[in-house]
Amino acid sequence: MSERIGVYICHCGTNIANTVDITAVAEYARTLPEVAVVREYKYMCSDPGQEMIKKDIKNNNLTRVVVSSCSPLMHENTFRGAVEDAGLNRFLFQMSNIREQCSWVHGDRRKATEKAKRMIAGAVRRVRWHRELTGREVKVEQSAMVVGAGIAGIEAALRIAEANKKVYLVEKEPSIGGHMAMFDKTFPTLDCAACILTPKMVQIGQHHNIELLTYSEVEEVSGFVGNFNVKVRKKARYIDVEKCTGCGSCLERCPVKYKASDNGRPESEIEMTPEMKRRVDLIIDTHKHEKVPLPAIMNEINTDIGYLPRPALKYISQQFHIPLSFIYHIATFYTAFKLEPQGEHTIKVCLGTACYVRGAQRILEALEERLEIKAGETTPDLKFTLETVNCPGSCTMGPVVLLDDRYITLEPNKVDQLIKSCT
Amino acid sequence: MDSVKIKTIQEFLIYQEALKRKTPEKVLIVSNATCGRAHGSLALVDKLKELWEKKALKGKAHLRFTGCLGYCDCEPLVIVRPSGFSYPRPSPEDLEEIIDESLIGGKPVERLFLKDPASGEVYHTENEIPFYKQQKMLIFGDNFELDPTSLEDYICLGGYSSLVKALTQMKPGEIIEEITKSGLRGRGGAGFPTGPKWASCRKAEGKHKYVICNADEGDPGSYANRGLLEGNPHSCIEGMIIGAYAIGADEGYVYIRMEYPLAVELIEKAIHDCLSAGLLGNNILGTGFDFDIKITRGGGAYVCGESTALMASIEGRPGEPRAKHIHTVERGLWDSPSTLNNVETWANIPKIIQNGADWFTKIGTGDVSKSPWDGSKGTKIFSLVGNIHRSGLAEVPMGMTLREVIFDIGGGMKGGKRFKGVQTGGPSGGVLGEEHLDLQIDYELMAEAGSIMGSGGMIVMDENTCMVDLARYFMGFLMDESCGKCIPCREGITQIYQILDKICKGLGEPEDLELLKDLVEVLENAALCQLGLSAPNPILTTMKYFKEEYDAHIYEHVCPAGVCKALSASKVTALT
Repeated sequence: MSERIGVYICHCGTNIANTVDITAVAEYARTLPEVAVVREYKYMCSDPGQEMIKKDIKNNNLTRVVVSSCSPLMHENTFRGAVEDAGLNRFLFQMSNIREQCSWVHGDRRKATEKAKRMIAGAVRRVRWHRELTGREVKVEQSAMVVGAGIAGIEAALRIAEANKKVYLVEKEPSIGGHMAMFDKTFPTLDCAACILTPKMVQIGQHHNIELLTYSEVEEVSGFVGNFNVKVRKKARYIDVEKCTGCGSCLERCPVKYKASDNGRPESEIEMTPEMKRRVDLIIDTHKHEKVPLPAIMNEINTDIGYLPRPALKYISQQFHIPLSFIYHIATFYTAFKLEPQGEHTIKVCLGTACYVRGAQRILEALEERLEIKAGETTPDLKFTLETVNCPGSCTMGPVVLLDDRYITLEPNKVDQLIKSCT
Repeated sequence: MDSVKIKTIQEFLIYQEALKRKTPEKVLIVSNATCGRAHGSLALVDKLKELWEKKALKGKAHLRFTGCLGYCDCEPLVIVRPSGFSYPRPSPEDLEEIIDESLIGGKPVERLFLKDPASGEVYHTENEIPFYKQQKMLIFGDNFELDPTSLEDYICLGGYSSLVKALTQMKPGEIIEEITKSGLRGRGGAGFPTGPKWASCRKAEGKHKYVICNADEGDPGSYANRGLLEGNPHSCIEGMIIGAYAIGADEGYVYIRMEYPLAVELIEKAIHDCLSAGLLGNNILGTGFDFDIKITRGGGAYVCGESTALMASIEGRPGEPRAKHIHTVERGLWDSPSTLNNVETWANIPKIIQNGADWFTKIGTGDVSKSPWDGSKGTKIFSLVGNIHRSGLAEVPMGMTLREVIFDIGGGMKGGKRFKGVQTGGPSGGVLGEEHLDLQIDYELMAEAGSIMGSGGMIVMDENTCMVDLARYFMGFLMDESCGKCIPCREGITQIYQILDKICKGLGEPEDLELLKDLVEVLENAALCQLGLSAPNPILTTMKYFKEEYDAHIYEHVCPAGVCKALSASKVTALT
């Protein structure tokens, strides 16, 4: 069925008219298919302008309306209102912006006019396909779901909750906080990430409007804006979240032996050699009945094997049902424990105060330079380990240097000599 | 020692008498502890044993290998008794002459005597040696008189008599009262009165109680505890047994740093000997009192010197401190009432019980008749080190001035350099300048000046030490050793370090000083444990007393001491 389109071209005073040849454009518009009426006026948005449209709709049985004027942001509502007043559905209307998108951005009259013609042609072609639409009001469910409890989700959940709406906060990990919880500082302010994040995490936990669904994933979303139905899978847990106080005691007794990732280490590192296992078993037997067996065992392995091999620690974790993470906490806390094989010779430089003021730093630097390693490291050929020690209590002998736990005197320029004498 | 089991008090007294009668007059003493061994004492030991055989001296003279004798610059020190002739670092070849001339003949060997580094004068006997002269060796003196591996030596000297007195003549409450009256305060640095601490622990409820010896001595530059443990481990043990009896503890721990292997060996042997002899274990000396001591070795963490961290470490956990809303005397090791004291504190106990509180209060400052907080009594052992002529362990009476310690005992500055500052209390203490040289050694007076007495480190610095660099050094140390639990310490100290590093590199700005003050304020108010709470001391004291040095770094981009490489000027700016 053919439509009857009314096209109205606005001068907008001189805003459009100075650049676009309105008459030519109007003439062109009359040639377009299904166009019933073409008018031009100085200010289409004015009352008379609007009246013009309304009268035409009634008297000319217009089925569609196009207004070529300014930006829809400005007057789309105005013209839609006029159309509706005249009894035509307000959505059977299209604007084309020949001001902001044409006359105001071009200087060449001829080109601007051509462009305006094409713009109107487009609007006319489009509007005939518009359908009647009816607005309707729906009740919006007064709750929200936020998926993902990183800082963004946390912040969103808090804002909504503070606005007195119920929030369901879904997070697939067992804990909220996301990546920010794993960072030390934020950019660019160098704020402490945890200091900003953790109070919000607490607020999430405490807020009466927020229901926290951790260790859960969204399975399916249906419904529509304002009225969603969401299916959430809550993964199985072994604790009652109502009773949990977060004390961490369960970690110390956890019977689940978890496999730490092996970080791509060589095969030989993944399992203990039979010899290593024999020595470790012997050590465990010696200390297992002591009141505090773990540090004694770790200490003896550290002395006997020279360091704490990863597979040995995993073995101890299994034998004593102590989480590997706890063992690593101890192993990394005390500097006495080494997690890497040590060199044949260990050189320790004391950086205690008395030795420091006597130039220990320079000796250390000379050693670091000569061995091409930093303090705490071992040379790749496993010949030397270089360490700093914070006071073996022999301050009058400073600067104190210990070669394989023997006191030696060493000056920066004698370092080369010393290294040669050991090799 | 042949395992003599002493089953009763009576047996002990008889045994002690017998030992006293056996001591010969002629004695040759050689110090054979860590400093001695580092300078060849083991070779002297071997040679002496050989010569003893050769000259058939057994029974005629006594050969004694001791622990630390304090004058570390001279170790190994050979002393001949009864003359007192003292020979610093003789070579093995000199020993025969010393034995023939001095030990047997009673004559001096002039060429081997000590030439004082400060005055150049020669000193013959131990009483004349300037380093020893001004000291008051209430505790340390025994190191000269006994072999640390010998329980008999200790008993012969009067050891464990205090224990006998405590067990037979005093009730636990009386012991605590005596210690309180003496005014003894913790020698680990905080200076908390020992008597009241024991009283609180005694009052606290708990099926088991513990006494703990803090031998972690983490302060760099401080090794007084090592000197005591290597020289006289039994003094500490006896103190602990008396303390345990007074408090009602049945188990004790010695937490000793792993960096002291010889001290560990010696205290292990001492405990073992006590167990064999019946001085530890069940039914001590037949009195029905049970008490045993175990040893835990540190793992190389400075923070484990803090009481709650130390106890966590004994329990096999990482040494992270906790907030002390509830004190460890009520809930400490394994949540039980625990008394933690420093090695030196424990070593003072037998002497005080033996000689009485009044003997102790005669020395020191203040008047403790109303409260032990009102004075600093007794002596303190300092490790006097740095750019001075004579360094080592010095036991001085409280109330002696810094000047007397540094210049009279220490012999003043080496190499013609000027005194610049003295650091006490380790990373928890501060640096005091020339204007403080007449400050008396006293808990309160030193704290007022901005430093602390600390565990005994006293590091003397000359004009070639940069105070900004030193402050930066301390922050670097604390940064490494921070347990990481609380934000003010973990983050604050890191930031302070970075600012100081910046200043030492010549990139400091005036605002940095304000920023340092702000950061310091946070630490002082919000850190969880003493490590963080007293971390500001090095900064505050250096900024206050050496302000011109900070200014020089920031405004003139010059390091007057010539230390900071980025800023070393070719001419030295006068500091007066």
